[in-house]
Amino acid sequence: MSLSLFSHRVIAKPALHALALVAVVCSWSGRRAAAQVLDADVRANAFYEPSKSSHLFVFNPTLAVAAIPSDWLKVNASYEADIVTGASEPVKAGRLGGVDVVSAATSFHDTRHQASGGFALTRESTELAATYAYGTESDYRSQSITVSAATSFLQRNTELRLSYGRGWDHVCTSHFREADDPSVRAPLDSSKGCFTNAADRDSRQVDLDSFQAGWTQTWTPVFTTQLNATAGLQHGFLGNPYRGVVIASAGDIALENHPENRARLAAALRLRYYARPLSTAFGVGAHVYRDTWDVVGTTFTLDAERYLSSGLRVQARFRYYAQTAALFYSDDYTGGEPKDGPRGQYWTGDRELSALHSFLLGGHLVYKKRADQGGRLLGVMLGFGASAGLDLMKTSLSDFTWGGTQPNDTFAILGSLGVNGEF
Amino acid sequence: MVSKLNRTFSLDLIIAAACCVLLGLLGAGCATVRPEQRAILADPIMQFESEPEEEAARQHVLENREAAMGSGSIKGGGCGCN
Repeated sequence: MSLSLFSHRVIAKPALHALALVAVVCSWSGRRAAAQVLDADVRANAFYEPSKSSHLFVFNPTLAVAAIPSDWLKVNASYEADIVTGASEPVKAGRLGGVDVVSAATSFHDTRHQASGGFALTRESTELAATYAYGTESDYRSQSITVSAATSFLQRNTELRLSYGRGWDHVCTSHFREADDPSVRAPLDSSKGCFTNAADRDSRQVDLDSFQAGWTQTWTPVFTTQLNATAGLQHGFLGNPYRGVVIASAGDIALENHPENRARLAAALRLRYYARPLSTAFGVGAHVYRDTWDVVGTTFTLDAERYLSSGLRVQARFRYYAQTAALFYSDDYTGGEPKDGPRGQYWTGDRELSALHSFLLGGHLVYKKRADQGGRLLGVMLGFGASAGLDLMKTSLSDFTWGGTQPNDTFAILGSLGVNGEF
Repeated sequence: MVSKLNRTFSLDLIIAAACCVLLGLLGAGCATVRPEQRAILADPIMQFESEPEEEAARQHVLENREAAMGSGSIKGGGCGCN
């Protein structure tokens, strides 16, 4: 309870400061700019796994405001929370263990707050932007800075964008020394005592670096493409501090043990085409990924969007994703893996590192209305918008079990409702 | 041996991809869409993320459930990933 209150106090200051900054910059520049625009977006997202065991529910309210006090400056601030309830299995055992880990699932509740603020400077065909974000929850703290630069040329038909992000995160773990053998490290039983001087808790650093390069090209009045390349570096404690893994046939449990470094590379190509006879825009995308843990992933997306009437548009989308398992992944580590091999040195209970594929089917409805020239909607707004989105997601795990039992929480529903106004 | 083969293959792939990008950039100079022809391109349905806030929420979920997502993200922690 006290930790929760502490989190609210910690997040309240940066969020208020960021919102105050937007207001101050807006009023300051307002003296110089004849027309200024303030955008506000309020949204509620929800994620639900209607399974018998986990009942995982994540509620994600967000508030974002952006002010354009002059034609060269945009400032923005946002706040969001992840309110999570559900049940999870604290110990991962595989097919050979014969351990009932499903009925040992425990309920949990956590709330994560994140506030961010940033600005963008725009000249004729160039934009420089920077964003700072701070996140906190009972067992995790994060800070990040992202900077980006973009320029367009050839009559704005070509746009190149570069960005770099740096994250400084801290995760709470049980107390252990780096020199301790990973097989004797214990998982956390709760977040109680995290980020205090408690003797049985430690705070471990996670460093994140991200590089991105993007090229957007307009080819014809109805055809455009986008190519993105990303690289990411992660260093530090990259496991789940709560998850224990059965690593010996006698039932010995140790804290999940992931490598401390991970380099990630990805490339994505997206195409967008407007079919005049159908009055519909079609999108196709492909994404390939590989990292130094030997996970290879591919994603294919397809969507179609069109207007139903003036201001009201609908989108239908489909997504297929497949990945291979990490080099050190095993459903069961008690099967006599060689001690010096990757599965003897590292162990994980993370289904995200097992081989899997998923399908996602969904869409959204969006309504936008702009005021007539010189007028205001309801006397105050230049524009108004509302949207509703729904996605259904089914994941197939080919080599992940809870003690030999197939997980039943592989179907998920994602919902999103939002309204925005331009003032 | 296999590792060397993989490295050679990866290098060839990177060089081939770089050549394709370079040719594409050169070809981009031939594409001339005048400002007055951009009405459809400027419409929200022709944007790669027509509802960016909704897309960000979906990516946030996927990043915690699929290993290949979020390679360019520095957003850590939370959200039912335990």
